[in-house]
Order: sequence, then structure tokens, then C-alpha cells
Amino acid sequence: MTSLAGWFRERFPFDGDQLRELTNEPVPNHLKRWWFCLGGTPAYLFVVQIITGVLLAFYYKPAPSTAYESVRYITEEAAFGWYIRGLHKWAATLMIAAVVLHQLRVFFTGAYRKPREINWMIGFLLLVCTLMAGFTGYSLVYEQLSYWGATVGANITDGVPLVGGFMKQLLLGGEVYNQNTLSRFFILHGAVLPVAMVMLIIVHLTIIRIQGVTELKFKEQEDEKEGHFNFFPDHLLTEIGIGLVLMIILSVLATVIPASMGAKADPLVTPEVIKPEWFFYVAFRWLKLFTGTVAILSMGFIMFMMFLWPFIDAWIRRRKPGSEASVWIGILGVLVIICLTVWEAAVAH
Amino acid sequence: MTDTHVPEEETRPEQPGRRSFLSSASTFLMFGGLAAGYGACAGVAGRFLYPAKPREKAWQFVVQIKKMKVGEALTYQIPGGEGVTVARQGSGETEADFIALSSTCPHLGCQVKWEARNNRFFCPCHNGVFDPSGKGVSGPPGDAEQSLPAYPLKAVNGLLFIEVPMDNFQVDAGSTLKSQTRRT
Amino acid sequence: MSLNFKKFIIAVLGAAFLASLLFVQWMELEHKKAESGAADAKVAIPANSEQCVECHSSTTAGIVDHWMGSTHAEKGVGCAECHAAEKGDADSFTHFGATIATVVTPLDCKQCHPLEFEEFTASHHAKGGNILHSLDNLLAETVEGHREPFNPHGVIPGRPDILEVNGLASAYTGCQQCHGSKLALLDKDGGKITVDELKPDADGKPTNTAAMDRIKKNPDGKPLFHPSTWPNTGIGRLNLDGSRGSCTACHSRHDFSPRRARQPENCGKCHLGPDHPQKEIYEESKHGIAYRDLKDELNLDAAKWVLGEDYSAAPTCATCHMSGNVNNGGRITHDPGERISWTNRPPVSLAMDTDENHKVIKETDPAKRRALIKDSAMDKRDRMRTACQVCHTPDYLDAFYKQYDDFVVLYNEKFAKPGKDIMGALKSRGLISKGNFDEEIEWTWFYLWHHEGRRARHGASMMAPDYAHWHGMYEVAERFYMELIPQAQEICHHAPEAKKADAEAVLALIEEILARPEHVWKSEFGKAQ
Repeated sequence: MTSLAGWFRERFPFDGDQLRELTNEPVPNHLKRWWFCLGGTPAYLFVVQIITGVLLAFYYKPAPSTAYESVRYITEEAAFGWYIRGLHKWAATLMIAAVVLHQLRVFFTGAYRKPREINWMIGFLLLVCTLMAGFTGYSLVYEQLSYWGATVGANITDGVPLVGGFMKQLLLGGEVYNQNTLSRFFILHGAVLPVAMVMLIIVHLTIIRIQGVTELKFKEQEDEKEGHFNFFPDHLLTEIGIGLVLMIILSVLATVIPASMGAKADPLVTPEVIKPEWFFYVAFRWLKLFTGTVAILSMGFIMFMMFLWPFIDAWIRRRKPGSEASVWIGILGVLVIICLTVWEAAVAH
Repeated sequence: MTDTHVPEEETRPEQPGRRSFLSSASTFLMFGGLAAGYGACAGVAGRFLYPAKPREKAWQFVVQIKKMKVGEALTYQIPGGEGVTVARQGSGETEADFIALSSTCPHLGCQVKWEARNNRFFCPCHNGVFDPSGKGVSGPPGDAEQSLPAYPLKAVNGLLFIEVPMDNFQVDAGSTLKSQTRRT
Repeated sequence: MSLNFKKFIIAVLGAAFLASLLFVQWMELEHKKAESGAADAKVAIPANSEQCVECHSSTTAGIVDHWMGSTHAEKGVGCAECHAAEKGDADSFTHFGATIATVVTPLDCKQCHPLEFEEFTASHHAKGGNILHSLDNLLAETVEGHREPFNPHGVIPGRPDILEVNGLASAYTGCQQCHGSKLALLDKDGGKITVDELKPDADGKPTNTAAMDRIKKNPDGKPLFHPSTWPNTGIGRLNLDGSRGSCTACHSRHDFSPRRARQPENCGKCHLGPDHPQKEIYEESKHGIAYRDLKDELNLDAAKWVLGEDYSAAPTCATCHMSGNVNNGGRITHDPGERISWTNRPPVSLAMDTDENHKVIKETDPAKRRALIKDSAMDKRDRMRTACQVCHTPDYLDAFYKQYDDFVVLYNEKFAKPGKDIMGALKSRGLISKGNFDEEIEWTWFYLWHHEGRRARHGASMMAPDYAHWHGMYEVAERFYMELIPQAQEICHHAPEAKKADAEAVLALIEEILARPEHVWKSEFGKAQ
């Protein structure tokens, strides 16, 4: 064993101590509160998505003639297929929720401020990737919602001035939903987006490791002497515990509210009530409130503002030091999002 | 490679001197819990990837018994699959009067032929020879004491049925239209 | 929170995760259990039918879909097994390399179902085609139509292509769709080539090669059927190979579903209407009422469908007349006549004593009759009673059959026999013509026994009081007293001079009949006024 380890170390000149040194960042004490671990939660769920996604890809056949049948096979016939599919679906839902909550936490604690502006932007790109993965994901089932959701989504991109038509063609692989569309969605969902996310996550974590986690102090903590604790093993154990809790929640959700299958996609019949997944309710309602290009451009503008928020915030604070404007804007934004989501959920059209 | 490090890692609290029974027990329990949970999960994943069902078999109609004379043989083709030699060996009307042998040589998978004049099955690939009951008598199958696999037969009301695997090209009984309405 | 405590929590969570996975495993088993019950059986397309299925799933998808749901498909019986033909067969043709025939006859089914073939062939069902040129057919072919084609009386607007009126149309689409056509290939001259011309041997192979040469074929070499005789699934079809009947009459192709044959609607294709409303009678009866209510409990998909074992919620037509029950060892018959003790088909009901040819014995001399009986009416009744006794006691059945016998005998003796005697006397004495349906009284008599008389008797046989009485005996009585008797008397009164003596004789017969105790009420009521 020793010689083998020695042989290996000659060729891979890192040992456990070095690796630990590299990753064992000091963790601020506020992270002993579990709600500050919302960054680790989407990361864990992302791993669940990769594993269950790879498993599902063993059976999934991305073509209009076979997609629905293969999903049916997974759901009804393959051993534990319904469970794996349920995990994938519910982990996606929880992941989006966790990413959003993580982002809110970062926003309201001001953790995006200098020098962490870039990491906010990377985080925002991760949110966009997650949403796109959600969109392409439910398009793969090839049920009515998949087909018409994809069609509607593609036509929304069409509304973008100048490049819209080009983007739509790129997305659908043609003027309309066709034989090539499903495989495009599949590659986006199963390869392009995950790889992009892995790279973004690496950068995200590296920046955190280099800059350290934002330190917060709470009133009752003020008399505590030490501000940090070890990542190994203390914080890691917390994350492992959270991971197990997530697995239990996912298993229960997958069992109690299993991933169902709607009617097979029918290019000739648009269903009476057509709604995207819940995380697109905001955008969907927004599109109904404003017409075509206005809605798309305004949505794009809001997204862009969110992307650049650290700089906007800095600009506000330069002008008015000590301003709480960002918090109020944040609260307003959250309220609008909740209202639009509830509105969309409550009405049929 | 890191066996010397792992326990150290896990038990490196602030004061190494207080490495107690409690600590190692909790570590042991923790790994036990993790192994049980994730191990079972891995088992589920493995079961998911393993082909969903064992080879399903079904009794399929072959021929009306009275249509075959003693000594005659016919080739029954398993749906979407290999040929099976069905021969009538007795004058009775029970399954014991028939034999159904795979025509796939157990040696390397070539198709054997029934040679009536030599009263034997012959595999042209490596000169394998089987007697009428399917037992290997010479050539590679004879040396390895291999036989042609036999399929179960059943005689019901003068009809001969054979039990064959159904996982080749099987389709759902009932119309596709029907199965769609069933689902919705 | 100490590290050790965290580790304990993780251990507990790990165990909880395992527990949730055990729950998942349990759900998986439930899934599979539910599916194994709900899932359709798997079918594999037999190698010799693969090619057929490949094309026909797009050209005639319905046929393939139906077949996929059949027991045939489940057991590996494909297209070839039934449709395969030999070169010498009259209607065989080469279809993508295979020699096949379109029409599958009982002889084909016999290959695997010999017992069913024997029973069916012996049944009255198989003789349904014998009505061709019978009294019934006279109606369709002559009274309703015309035996020869005739010219339309002017151009038919929009359809100038129709230059001829087919006088047999009513017989083809009316009578023969139930009774069965005499299947015919199209002669090159437009005529028919039937079993009579082909003269098939015992194996169904035609022996008349000259007739074979006259068969008209399409460019692919497929023989054409005379359009008046095919499509046809009449139960007594006269097939080209000499066999009689059509199994698809009840076991509709291409799923040949026993489930469907077990339901009264299946029999209702033919057993309904003014002359023999068995379906409606059944629906009115307690049996039919229970069926409508409890259909879901009838276990119609059961493999054997034995009454008292697989189901007992309600009887259908098949239950009593054909299917097995616990009391008869599950014995199914494909000859419904095996359990019927009266034939109510003729004007006067006959006890169903049958001879060795399964013919109803008309011999009246008791000794001679006994000698002829192969299977007596009471044997048949006992077979029927095995089914009844799954639900009813012997005493109950004795009393029911007493009611039924009394009813049939009352009809026979009070109306049928006198009516038949009067009609016979009128005809034999030349007071009406030999031909049928040219005189009003012949329609009257036909209504009396063929429609109303049968409705009454069938209503009594299957417990439908309204059919026994208002649609039945009441109308029989009205027809007898208010139409048949006055019309007969009228004919006699207006008889020509030369027939006076015959007319007197018939009037005397009528008088004798009306003086019988069961008819005397009428003259007594008249006197009282």
C-alpha cells in the first residue's frame, strides 16, 4: 500500500493535507445558522440532477416519435423509473427555489457588494442557466405542455428585436417545431447547460474561496471571541446533514406527488389551459400584461438591471451614503414577483 | 492511499487527546448511516439501469398435431428471433411425442440443420453433430458434452404450443388507440 | 453543536433516508402489482405474419389493432393461420408471395376448434341460409322486390350511372345479413359462381374446373366476389367450400372476442324486431334488468366464464343457451338448440324432440315418434335447467315450466291450430290461391303467427309479461277474432257458384271452432245483447 501510495504521489503531487488546505476555508460563525447554507443546497441538488439525469438518459429517446413513449416506459415499466424521474423533477423544483432563496439572501445581506460584484454576476448567470435547464427539461417529456411551452418559448425569443428570428431558428432548428427540435433541446438540457453550469460553479466557488465568505455579525454573537470555524469537518458535516434531509424530502415528494404524464403532444391541438412550470409564472403573466416586444424588452431590461445590480447599488450608495434604497427595491421586487406568480396561478387564462 | 489520513481527518477535533470511545462510535455510526442511505440509493439506481423485466415467456401456437406425421420436422420461428426445430417422434398426441430443439449451436451460435438421412443435427461451422434428442455426440459440442437447448411443448385439444421468450419485437396487446385512451 | 452530536444526527438522517427508500421500494412493488393486473398481455407477431402486419398496420390499421387485442394474437395465431389457402381453392390468390383467401369459413376455424365446428354445424343457426326461396324470402325477393333486375322508371337525378334496379336488394341487405348469403364469386359474364357450381369435395376443394375458369379476377389475379353476396357475416352463410355458416356472425373479426359473444347485444343484431323480439323481451325481463345494472360484475373477460363460478350476477343470452355452468361441468355448446324444449318458430309450436339429423320430429304416432327420437325435448329442457338451477330451486323451475308450457299450449290450441286449419281448408278447397301474400287473409294469418304469435310465445319463454300479453296474445286474439275469422267468412260468402259446397264446408269448420268452449264466449256475449 505504501509503495503504491508513493508511486501514485510521484505522479500526482498532492496529498490529503494539501487538498484540505486548499479547500478548508475558514467558515464564518454565522454559517452555523442553517439558512445561510442555501448556497450549498443548490450545489447538492445540482449533483442529484446530474446523477438522475444521466440515469434517465439511459432510457430517454429524443425524437418526436419516441420521446413520449420512452418517458412512459421510464415512468411505468422500468424498475424504480417513476422514482428516478420523480427525484429529477422535484430536485429541479427545489433547486430553482433554493437558487432564488440563495440569491435573496445574498441580496438582502448586501453580500454582493465590493469586491464580490463579479460573483453576483456569475451567480445570476447560474440562475439563468437553471431556469433554462428547467424550460428545456420539461420540453423533453413531449406532452402537450412540452410541445406548446417550447413553441411559445421559441416565439418569445422571436419577439426580441434584430436577433430574435435568428435565435428562434437556432433554438428550434427551423421555422417551427420540427424533427430536429427535440434533439436540440435534449443536447441543451443534457450537455450544454450542465457543462456551462459546472464551469460557472467552479468559478463561483473559487472566487468564494479566494475572497472568503462575507462575514456577518449578529447581536447575540457579538461577545463570541472567535469569528470562524473549520470547514473540515464541522461545516462539511452540516452540509452532509442538509444533503440527507434533501434526499428524504425528495424521496417523499417523488413518492407522494409523483411526476405524472399529461396527454401526448398534439401539434394540431393547443390545450385550453396552457401554463408553464411555476417558476415561469412571473414571466408568463408579464407577457400577458404587456404586448409583444414591449414585454420582452422590458423583461430583458429588468434582467439586465439585476445582472448589473452591484454596480447600480454602488452608484446609489455613492450618491446617498447609508441609503437603504436597495433593501426597499428588493422588497418591492419580491412582492411584485410573488403577486404576479400568485395571479398567474389563480386564474385559468 | 489515504487510509492513514481518513481517521485522522474525522477525529481531528481541537484536542486530539480527547479521542474517546464516543467519538469513534459516532464516526462509525455516521458512516454506517451514510452507507446505508446512499448505498440503498445506489442500489435503486443500479436496479433502474438493469433491464426492466426478466425474459418474459409465453405459450405460442405451433401447429395442429394431426398435420404432422411421425418423423416429420418443421421449423418454427420465434417471433423476431431464431428458428426452432419441432419434430414429431411418437404417434401419440401428447407433448411427449414431440421435441422442440433450438437450432442455434451451443458451441458458437451457428444454425444447425436436421439431416434426415443421417438422423442427426449437423452444425456446418465446426462439424458439430447432435443426435435426434439434441445431445452433442461429436465435434466441439460432443467434446464439451453440450446439447441443443430444448423448448417446452404443450399439447392442448390437438394443438401444439411452444413456450418461447417474448422480449423480441413484442408489442402491447390491444390497439395503440386503445392504449392511449387508457392512459388519459 | 458538538461534532459528535452532528455525526449522530447524520447517522439518524442516513437511517431515515434508508427508511424513505424502503417506502420507495414498497411503492415500486405496488406499482408493479397494479401494472401486472392492468397491463395488457404482451403479444408477439408470429414470424409467418410479420409481413402482413407490417403493411396492414398502415393500410388497414383497424384490423391489425383488433387482432392485437385478440386471444389469437396472444397465443401466436396470426394472419396466415386462418387466411392461408391452397392454390386449388376457388377463392385463393397470391398476395405478396403468400397464397391466401379473403373469406374465412368454419372449415378454417375447424382446424383448431373441431368441437365447436361440429356443434355449430349441427345447429339450427348453421341452417339459417336455408330460408333462401322460403316463405320469408318470398317476401323480400318478390313482394318487396323482384327476382329479376328491372329498369328504373326514368333517370335518377344525380346518379345517371344507375341503369338497373336490383330487385333482390332487400333480400341481400335484409334477410341475408342475418341468415347468410349464398357466397358467390363473380362470373366473367357478371353472374354468380356459388358452391352449387364449384361442387367442392369433403375437404372443400372445388371439383368443377370449368367453373373455376369462369371466375372473374382483378389485374392482380384476385378473384372477385359477387357484390350482392359479400360482405356477409350471416350465421347460415353458404360458403364456397361447402361449409355452412360464419363464425364471425357472433365472434366478430378480428378480435374474435368471447367477451362480445357473451353479451346480449351481440345476439341482438338479428334476434329483435316485430317477428321475434328476443332482445327486447330479454331486456324487459328480470334477467335483462339485472344485466343492465350488474354488467360490471359479470366478469366478461374470464377465460371460461362458468356460471356460478366466474359470475352469477345476471344471465345473458349466452349464459342460458350456450355457456357452461357449475351444474353441467362448464360444458359450452355452440348449438343453442340443445337447450330449447319448444320450437316457437312455426305457426304451431312443436316439442323439440329431434332425430339423428337434429331435425324436429313431426311424426304424431306415439310409438313411431319414440323410435325416431334421438334427443328429446325434455333432455333439452334438463340441459337448460342446469343453468337455471344455479340461481333457482327445482320447484321454482317446475312451476315456471308449467306456466310456460300452459301458455304455449293455450296459444297452440286456441288460435294456432284453428287458424292453421282454416287457412289449410281455404287453400286446399281452392277458395284462396296457392300463392302466398296475394290475398289479405294471408297477411292476416302471417301477422298472427309469425309476428304476434311468436312475440307471445317468446315473451312467455323469457319472462317478459308485456310481450306475452299486450304485444302477444292480445294481438293474436284481436287478429283472430276481428280479422282472420271475418275475412275467412267473407271469402266463403263471396265464393263463386262452383265453390259453394267448399265454402259451406269451411264455414262449418269455422262454426265448429267458434262453438268450442274456449271460443263460445263470443257468440254468448253477442246473444246477451
